[in-house]
Amino acid sequence: MLKLYDYELSGNCYKLRLLLSFLGVEYKSELIDFYPGNQHKSPEFRQINPLGQLPVIDDNGLVLRDAQAILVYLASKYDPSCKWYPRDNPEMLGQISQWLAFADGITGTASAARLHDALFYNHIDVEAARAGAHRLFRVLDEHLFFAEEAGQDWICPGDHPTIADIACFPYIMLSEEGGIPRIDYPAIRRWSDRFKRIPGFTVMSGVFPAGPAAKDSSKAVA
Amino acid sequence: MMSDLHSNWYPIASSSDLPKRHVYQAQLLGREFAVWRADDGHVNVWENRCLHRGVRLSIGINNGTELKCQYHGWRYANRTAGCTYIPAHPADAPARTICNNTYPAIESHGLVWSGEEASGDLLSLDGFDSATVLRAVPVFAPMNMVAEALLGYGWDDSCKGAANDDGSVTVTAGDGTAVRIFVQPMDSNHSVMRGLVNQAPAGAGRAELLQTHSWLMQELRDRVEVLAAKQEAPAPYEPVIAKVSEDLVDIPALGTDGRKAELRVQLVKKEMTAEGIVSLRLEPIKGQLPTFQPGAHIDVHLPNGLVRQYSITNGPGETDHYTIGVKREGDGRGGSAAVHDSLQEGDVLAISAPRNNFPLRRDAEHTVFIAGGIGVTPMIAMARALNAQGLSFEFHYFVQSDDHVAFKQQIGEFERALTIHKGLSPEATGAKLKEVLAEPGFARHVYICGPGPMLEATRGIAASQGWTDEAVHFEYFANTAEVDDSTAFEVDLARSALTLQVPAGKTILEVLREHGIDMPSSCEQGACGTCRCGVIEGEVIHQDVYLSNAEKAEGKSIMTCVSRAASDRLILDI
Amino acid sequence: MSKPKCEDQVALNLWYTIAPIAELEEPGAQQTILLEQQIAYARNAAGEVVVWAHEGVPGGVPEQNTLPVQERYGYVWTTLGSPNSDIFPIPEYAEADRRNIHAATFGVNVSAPRLVENFLDMGHFPFVHTDILGAEPHTEVKEYFVEVSEERDEIIASNCKFWQPMAAAASSGGADVDYIYRVPHPFCSVLYKSSPLDESRKDVIAIFIQPFNQEQVRVHMLLSLLDDANNDTDIRLFQQTIFGQDKPILENQYPKRLPLDPRAETPIRADKSAIAYRRWLSGKGITYGVIPPAA
Repeated sequence: MLKLYDYELSGNCYKLRLLLSFLGVEYKSELIDFYPGNQHKSPEFRQINPLGQLPVIDDNGLVLRDAQAILVYLASKYDPSCKWYPRDNPEMLGQISQWLAFADGITGTASAARLHDALFYNHIDVEAARAGAHRLFRVLDEHLFFAEEAGQDWICPGDHPTIADIACFPYIMLSEEGGIPRIDYPAIRRWSDRFKRIPGFTVMSGVFPAGPAAKDSSKAVA
Repeated sequence: MMSDLHSNWYPIASSSDLPKRHVYQAQLLGREFAVWRADDGHVNVWENRCLHRGVRLSIGINNGTELKCQYHGWRYANRTAGCTYIPAHPADAPARTICNNTYPAIESHGLVWSGEEASGDLLSLDGFDSATVLRAVPVFAPMNMVAEALLGYGWDDSCKGAANDDGSVTVTAGDGTAVRIFVQPMDSNHSVMRGLVNQAPAGAGRAELLQTHSWLMQELRDRVEVLAAKQEAPAPYEPVIAKVSEDLVDIPALGTDGRKAELRVQLVKKEMTAEGIVSLRLEPIKGQLPTFQPGAHIDVHLPNGLVRQYSITNGPGETDHYTIGVKREGDGRGGSAAVHDSLQEGDVLAISAPRNNFPLRRDAEHTVFIAGGIGVTPMIAMARALNAQGLSFEFHYFVQSDDHVAFKQQIGEFERALTIHKGLSPEATGAKLKEVLAEPGFARHVYICGPGPMLEATRGIAASQGWTDEAVHFEYFANTAEVDDSTAFEVDLARSALTLQVPAGKTILEVLREHGIDMPSSCEQGACGTCRCGVIEGEVIHQDVYLSNAEKAEGKSIMTCVSRAASDRLILDI
Repeated sequence: MSKPKCEDQVALNLWYTIAPIAELEEPGAQQTILLEQQIAYARNAAGEVVVWAHEGVPGGVPEQNTLPVQERYGYVWTTLGSPNSDIFPIPEYAEADRRNIHAATFGVNVSAPRLVENFLDMGHFPFVHTDILGAEPHTEVKEYFVEVSEERDEIIASNCKFWQPMAAAASSGGADVDYIYRVPHPFCSVLYKSSPLDESRKDVIAIFIQPFNQEQVRVHMLLSLLDDANNDTDIRLFQQTIFGQDKPILENQYPKRLPLDPRAETPIRADKSAIAYRRWLSGKGITYGVIPPAA
């Protein structure tokens, strides 16, 4: 069975738990004592991922690291509908890759600020990290505003969410733990409500579920 | 200065920021708001703080009619912001209404306007009746600095900016195109630019217009933020945290409202909902109706001087009206005849605030409702509350015939949970009830309301099937038993240190009233539970139908409107 | 040490946990903050734990001007003042068959008393710890007892019961779980919870809060369990999951400091322990991390 080296409070691990839940793929979580045990930096774990980072998957011997790379792999392999990662649509693939890189930027800023505030990563310049996150959130909020204007619910065009939405979601939702409020980003806040209503959505510690959608405005995304 | 700002109307959101089932987070002059649109379209602007433990309501859940706090699941009603349910105490009907702080709101020109103490009309927005609402752009800079910079805003060389009296800026181009930009002061160093354009193109024209201004405003934002960063940031506003009312501090005291008619309502719609049953829609003359809990009733003061109790049938969050159902009683005391024959649409009536002596637990795994005839009315409100929360229930409605089924539309919402039993004989009803009540169990509750004989029979069947007293909830709408008031005795009032004589022919309640003790009451026939009072010592002859057998046997409560002492003396906890 | 930034004498004269002892295995001085004062801690050449205050430049382990130190319950404790009582007892910690585990130290943007109140609260279990410590519709907080022990100067809430969906690994359904709560220190609390293994004994969970300032803290979480089935990592991660669920609630409370005015917020019967806690803090004259009454 697919194995996920996992840590509950990691937004990057959560990205994979989300996709696996949306796709209904069974997997086994191998819990890593990321904090305070630092198990991901242990010699044993570095044999699995020399970068000493989570998440990692082991799918029948194929070992992959990096949340965005694993999203691409899992969606390509386990989504027969090809909606989460439309691999035959070059325009979509280009846009998804662009936003996966953007999600990496969110990790480098919003997630860094959270690690500073919650887990005492004191070497991080937290003011710079927060400012960086705000710059990215401004870009995404404007993008999502105009996406809504165009009748589009998700980061990339089409009527179905993609792995770009999954990649951006966790560290945006956890930003307040790093002292980054989202009051200035109403389009992001509406998008995150829609995201939470995708069938199969699951929470992590720090993320609350949304209530049910209004009956007259619900859009099926199955 | 501050008070001037507080009395202004400011746009705090675009209408499009409030899709259904979303909670928008806003801020004005340092105070945060939770802003949400109910399914009926009403826009609520509330302080962003649950009064229980201060948690932001903007992380809560808008379920269409109520806002649910994320921390303890407290529910607050659309419009009134009154708390309708406290899950930690599911058996309690809140004796007091905890109300969130609400602020005035106007939705106009595609914007939502509010202000802590805003009143009166919005300033004129002439020329913007057919307008496009621009994308709002927040800026980390003080309001005045933003407004000043906006005077130089423009999209071509012909643009000229001018300040308006309300602090907004209008920029007009040579071709007559005008943009009016309001600056919303979130905090002393944080503002939002909200613009209206006096044109409403569609399609690509709209997208281009929005994009142009989004871009221009963001450019302006970047320039202003550079300027603002060079100055020392002003101290943030410190919004006053209002104290909750005195009566919410401790365990609620005994009410002292007596039998008062506090509210005036207009009968807006009167229609037959079933044979012999009329439905009345009551709307407030002005302002809001109070928050109600499912199971609550109101006193209705009828034109002929009688006071009658009727259950509210509304679903959760329906606070702009109350709908009640009244059955014509052939042998009633003249109240129902007055409703059926004399009341007309447009009439103004006096009613009491809602009281709830029939509280609904929402911590059941499964709830069984059993309604007979007009007894359906409180059950409709209860089942609608459970239905809205997605909790499991079944609804059995016993009627004579199809013509006797009232409130068809409302009960239709229950879909498969609804079973209507028509024209059953008493024996067949008994057999059906045995079937319905076959499975008592952990966290299963049954609620019964209907004619006395059916209620008695149902309680008996429930007991014989193994339902505990605590799991069986009922409400009589009349006490049909003969009340014996032939005894005389003494009552000691422990807290008031008074001793009163209750002679034959008078009730305890009447004697209390004569001595200036304002005991709340409603039906005054031992059915509604409003005049319940604690008993410290003495034996009681219970003549009410409100208390359960267990409560009667325990002897710690008395219905002062009908029940009397078995001993010479009673000590009451008042 | 210059004049302390914290002016609350009651808060200054308390003992505080500043780090798990295991952290001292790392070489060099570690940095942290207590009541706005920068402090450093390390093991000196003799193997003793040394804690000292400094103004931004920790330097090496000093010979003088160090702060009082105690090692207790697996943590380093210190104080900026002169405590007139010892660290409160947790006798269970010393029981031979218990597993004492440091679950985590987390930073939280909230005041210390808000965090204590959340720890005492059961009503949020179904809504915040959904399907773990509680589940709708089982939301009732049943009547419980609260007393303030004058002798021990601590609050005790007993006979607390709450319905838990998976009360014991062995049972398939839910059941009431018993809790006892102690507040033996303004910024610490100890919880006793039915042990699934031994009816007569209880698992212990304690929080020791180290205020950085009035609105930012870090919390050290200790578990002292009878569990013999799960490994340390699983136990630790379970507790982190629970705390991670409380965190966004805590960080979304307004105001961040705990208001002690009885009219600031609305209590219900379920909040008896919280009401006692607020009164106890008022009685002590604590001003740090709270909004004093009639301010």
